[in-house]
Amino acid sequence: MRTRAETRRQRWAILAVAVAVLALSLVLRSAYFELVLTEVLLWAVLSLAWNILCGYGGYFSFGHAAFWGLGAYVVALGLIDFNLTPWATIPFCALVGCVAGAAIGFPTFRLRGHYFALAMLAYPLAMLYVFQWLGYQELALPMKRATAFLYMQFADPRGYVVLALGLLVATLLISLWVENSRFGMSLLAIKQNEPAAEAAGINTWRWKMLALMLSGALAAMAGGLYAVVLLVLTPDTVFGILVSAQPLILALFGGVGSLWGPVIGAMTLVPLAEGLNAELGSILPGIQGVVYGVALIVIILYAPEGIYWRVLDRISRRRPAPPAEARLPVAATVAALPQAPAGVGDLLVLRGVGLSFGGLRALDGVDLAVPEGGLYGIIGPNGAGKTTLFNAINGFLTPDRGTIEFAGAPITGLRPNRICRRGIGRTFQVVRAFSRMTVLENVIVGAFVGSADDTVARQMALAALDRVGLGGRANAIAGGLTTRELRLMELARALAPHPRLVLLDETLAGLGHDDLDGILGVIRQLRTDGVTVLIIEHTMQAMVHLVDHFSVLDHGRLIAAGRPDDVVRDQRVIEAYLGKKWLDRVAAIETPPGREENPAAVLSGFKEETGR
Amino acid sequence: MPFSLTDFLQALAAGILVGSAYALMCVGLGIIFGAMRVINFAQGDFMMLGMYAAFYLTTGFGVLAFLGPYAGPIVAAFLAGPIVYGVGWITHRFIMSRVTGVGAADSEGAGAYGQILVTLGLSLILQNGGLIVFGSTPTGILTPLAHSSWEIGDILLNKGRCLSFVVSVVVAGAVYLFLSHTRVGKGLRAAADNTEAAVYMGIDVDRAHRLAWSLGVGITAVAGGLVASSQSFQPYVGFDFVIVMYAGVVLGGLGSILGAFWGGLLIGIVQQMATLVLPYQLQNTAIFVVFLLIIFLRPQGIFGRLSERT
Amino acid sequence: MTTTPTRRAINAGLALAGARALGAIAVPGLGIASAAAQAKSVKIAMIAPLSGPWARQGQLLRMGAEMACDDINKAGGIAKLGGAKLNLVVADAGASTESAKDAAQRLIAQQPDLVGGFGSWLSSFTLAVTEVTERAQLPWLTLSYSDAITNRGFKFIFQTSPTADDQARNTLPTALDLAQKVTGKRPKTMGIIMDNTASPVSFVKPLLGGGIQKLGLKLLVNEVYTPPLSDATPLVEKVRSNRPDFLLLLTSAMPDCKLVLEKLDEFNLGKGKVPLVGNGAPFGVPELAKTIGTDLLEGLLFSVANWPMKGQEKFVADFKKRTGEPWVTQDGLCGYGHVQILKAALDSAGAADRLKVAAAIRAMDLTTGPAAACFPGPIKFDAKGRREDVPILFAQWQKGVPVTVFPSNLAVAKPFWPTV
Repeated sequence: MRTRAETRRQRWAILAVAVAVLALSLVLRSAYFELVLTEVLLWAVLSLAWNILCGYGGYFSFGHAAFWGLGAYVVALGLIDFNLTPWATIPFCALVGCVAGAAIGFPTFRLRGHYFALAMLAYPLAMLYVFQWLGYQELALPMKRATAFLYMQFADPRGYVVLALGLLVATLLISLWVENSRFGMSLLAIKQNEPAAEAAGINTWRWKMLALMLSGALAAMAGGLYAVVLLVLTPDTVFGILVSAQPLILALFGGVGSLWGPVIGAMTLVPLAEGLNAELGSILPGIQGVVYGVALIVIILYAPEGIYWRVLDRISRRRPAPPAEARLPVAATVAALPQAPAGVGDLLVLRGVGLSFGGLRALDGVDLAVPEGGLYGIIGPNGAGKTTLFNAINGFLTPDRGTIEFAGAPITGLRPNRICRRGIGRTFQVVRAFSRMTVLENVIVGAFVGSADDTVARQMALAALDRVGLGGRANAIAGGLTTRELRLMELARALAPHPRLVLLDETLAGLGHDDLDGILGVIRQLRTDGVTVLIIEHTMQAMVHLVDHFSVLDHGRLIAAGRPDDVVRDQRVIEAYLGKKWLDRVAAIETPPGREENPAAVLSGFKEETGR
Repeated sequence: MPFSLTDFLQALAAGILVGSAYALMCVGLGIIFGAMRVINFAQGDFMMLGMYAAFYLTTGFGVLAFLGPYAGPIVAAFLAGPIVYGVGWITHRFIMSRVTGVGAADSEGAGAYGQILVTLGLSLILQNGGLIVFGSTPTGILTPLAHSSWEIGDILLNKGRCLSFVVSVVVAGAVYLFLSHTRVGKGLRAAADNTEAAVYMGIDVDRAHRLAWSLGVGITAVAGGLVASSQSFQPYVGFDFVIVMYAGVVLGGLGSILGAFWGGLLIGIVQQMATLVLPYQLQNTAIFVVFLLIIFLRPQGIFGRLSERT
Repeated sequence: MTTTPTRRAINAGLALAGARALGAIAVPGLGIASAAAQAKSVKIAMIAPLSGPWARQGQLLRMGAEMACDDINKAGGIAKLGGAKLNLVVADAGASTESAKDAAQRLIAQQPDLVGGFGSWLSSFTLAVTEVTERAQLPWLTLSYSDAITNRGFKFIFQTSPTADDQARNTLPTALDLAQKVTGKRPKTMGIIMDNTASPVSFVKPLLGGGIQKLGLKLLVNEVYTPPLSDATPLVEKVRSNRPDFLLLLTSAMPDCKLVLEKLDEFNLGKGKVPLVGNGAPFGVPELAKTIGTDLLEGLLFSVANWPMKGQEKFVADFKKRTGEPWVTQDGLCGYGHVQILKAALDSAGAADRLKVAAAIRAMDLTTGPAAACFPGPIKFDAKGRREDVPILFAQWQKGVPVTVFPSNLAVAKPFWPTV
């Protein structure tokens, strides 16, 4: 998320580009250059539209020709069959693109990664054959001599430049708005770690659908204008694989996921290809394609992420990293932390929760009641089903049997982001950071649930960072943090929206002694603040000191529950942890009389011996 | 029923025979995708190279003319494999290895999609370079096999396509055995499953990738060589096939060699049999509809593992 | 050196300058006035696909056009313009409508002194290119079949081929007459196999709209496919199970022709068992013979907009010698013919001015001369820019070469109706 000043700078940059393009089109005085300029602008719009879903959201699409082509055919058929002016049909294309985006996204967002990308390819190609079958092999937009302007037919080709530029500026402003709002932040979070985004309360489905619909609307409008400019349509021209590849090529070349990358790509490659056609095409046909191909490869070897990022890296290497943002006082708009009403009873209740993977029973009749305001622990050996239990609670998995209630209402089967909204935050065993975002941005993503206002969300994130003691690192990139900082950042992300319950998944694992103390302090403070904590660990020692209550999970079943001191003496627990053989040895060891026994020490002592 | 039993069986036979060539192409692509997680847009163009290699070995320079019009095209298709393998080796050594491999193992990462542009660039170079070198005139391998058939009752089985079917099955089978039973093949699969772990296990991932890439394009080239004796082609023919290949590989399950084979075969069958119930023009639409249906019902593909979905 | 690829191509420009210098040296005695005339040249444009999947057709068109320019310039250039040389400016239409339109706009913008042009083979390219040339008032010739090209009310487009509509109206009756004459029996049933590109689609429109019944025929097979074809089995299976008296083949790409013809032979329907009538130049290209063998083609009859006719023997021999092509097809012939039409128009306009050239083409009525020799029927255009009174040509594969067999005044051989 950019600062205000930066956003203003970007708006000026957009204005500067618009003025430069207008000036250029005044200077050119050649219908040919105006045509190429129009094409550059339109392809830039398509590429930017593609970039909204694919650059920000990370869902690559090889099928944006579907929207482009639909837009083109809406405008062409509207004019030919119904005598509708493009002035009306091009805005209508936005609706068509939007609906098509929803229709395509609804089934296709079941897929991810390469599957999504390749499935998208199928839509424009299927449409291509259907449009041929319908008899639209060639459409020529009729020339309207008398009412040319009414039908968007300009004698001066600069008319098209102006329209395409308008569309480009609108698309840039929309992209900028996306980047600067929770929309863009949510997409970035989805791109970097979708499950974490979902767990942090981001409704990933909704944002992805919105991104595809917005992307489709913009692409369809550009396609509609393309039809007016080209005047002749064939299914291949607008639905073909080359059209789908174009936004991808331009964005990857210029810098995917950036505001300016697609524009840079279009402004470089479209004229380059056309220039090569002009200069070489008739001398040795084919050589233009070879040179273009070589150029693509050479540039990508030099700048694998595209020109924009490469240049940015260069500049930022020369410049020192930006100083930490001046600390703002936490605004009064941030609600005070909700205080847990004392002794209300159980906040989270699991009844007979069971879950199987194929034949394997990962959870088997788990009953659990976590009291409000408590610090509750679950231990169990590796593979006992601890993380599965958390996944069932926060909605990643839906239990086959049993019910889960939170604050008196059932949450079984809700999507993770809904559950997060109810007030359950979580962290992960392996930290799921949005590694290319700053620490503050990571936490802001978590704070969105807490407030509909982005500024408030930001304040809440800063407050959460202060709570975990990471305030000084707000502007660091998450990818460069230490394990301790990452854990704290993830904790801050979970805490930012003021959850009533946080699920901490092995938050203490892999930390050294000093780091451990810091985090334990933070967790204890949570209880003081009235947040209920459910923590999973398999390192017993820290746990017994930390929690009031804990349960032991083994092979998907809860085998013991109670106060720490009691649980660690439970024979079933020792057996589960160390095996029967060890149980016999424990029995054989005589406890020296009079010495105060530390049950955790007993178990952790065995742990060291077993090498766990 | 709008069609007779003969029509049905004839379309089924055509589907299997056409599909077998697709299947072999898909195996080639499947090896590359499985090992490197690279979406190779130039695969169709490597296949085009295979077609021209087979053409020049038989009709063009006539090196294999002495084998006659029956054995010549088949042998030429085989030989197209090693030739294109060599081309693949060079392109990987000097180009692909710089954008793939250990450094770019995380294919969902933002930078790794640069590979796509590189393969698109390769595709442009091969197509247009092909135009300059081979010329624009469509050509094909002249063989009587293309228009003679064996008759089984009312069903006619094209001899050329039948031989191509046999070769496809044999080559695909050999590749499968090679990958599952040899040291090199196992190393390749280890590198595919987990690049990082493979590095720790002492597998030279770069070499494994080079083998996968070269083998992949080589096998697709053999399929091209087979197709070259029933269809005519020009330097831009690759585009017509690359979509079919991807559909087949995704259907079978990205990363599964066996899956790629069945996926390709299924595409052929759907393409030919769709004409029984749909307008002929929509035969390729049928491919995409079936493709979408299958991946929605079984997102990991027919033979893919669930873990590869995410 | 008659082609300047683009004005800015330095090498080509140098070569051209060199050629002019050589020209000046070669005619040292003619004096200054003549040298000035020598330097004068008239630019005409060709836009055609020279790269991409349709490159072959564009290159054939170019061969014919370059040969025409050379012939004209060798014979003294444009007489009415003081012997000015014809200068052919070529642009690659590439593989997409967008690149075709770009090429047209580029030529119009960068070559303001163009007086006319022709192209662009694929009808969608021609549509896009002529949107530009029409606005620039540049007279444009094309051999594309599609009716849409001349249905837009444009004033500067001239279609030298009979429209698909005309071809459709004439092809079947002519073929039926031929069958009756040779076999004594008029075919009663027919089948159609076609792709769904623009030309075949407009070709069958009048047939399916009642034309077939009017001819007393029954349609047994009607299959439309999307090119490219991967295999023709299901198509030909329909022919096998319905057995029409003859088959109308409208496949506009050579690779599909090959698949269908070979499959017909494989299913024992080839070599005249089901007589074939094709439409379009792809049925007569040399590469078809090279990829399926001439024995399968013997007797194949196809209607076509243009094919070498009686009286063109010298042209055909020169073209073959010059290019190494085994025979002349529609594309090479039209490339040559279009340049000759433009030359004739320049001669009658008497000025290198595009409006005057356009007017000259509109007023044209040629029955003799090099331009008229390249096309069947008189060179005469109606208000839409279509040629009037164009007879449909039939060519037939005979002894391994497709030769014109109908109408008899233009034919170089006698037709036969394939019988078993």
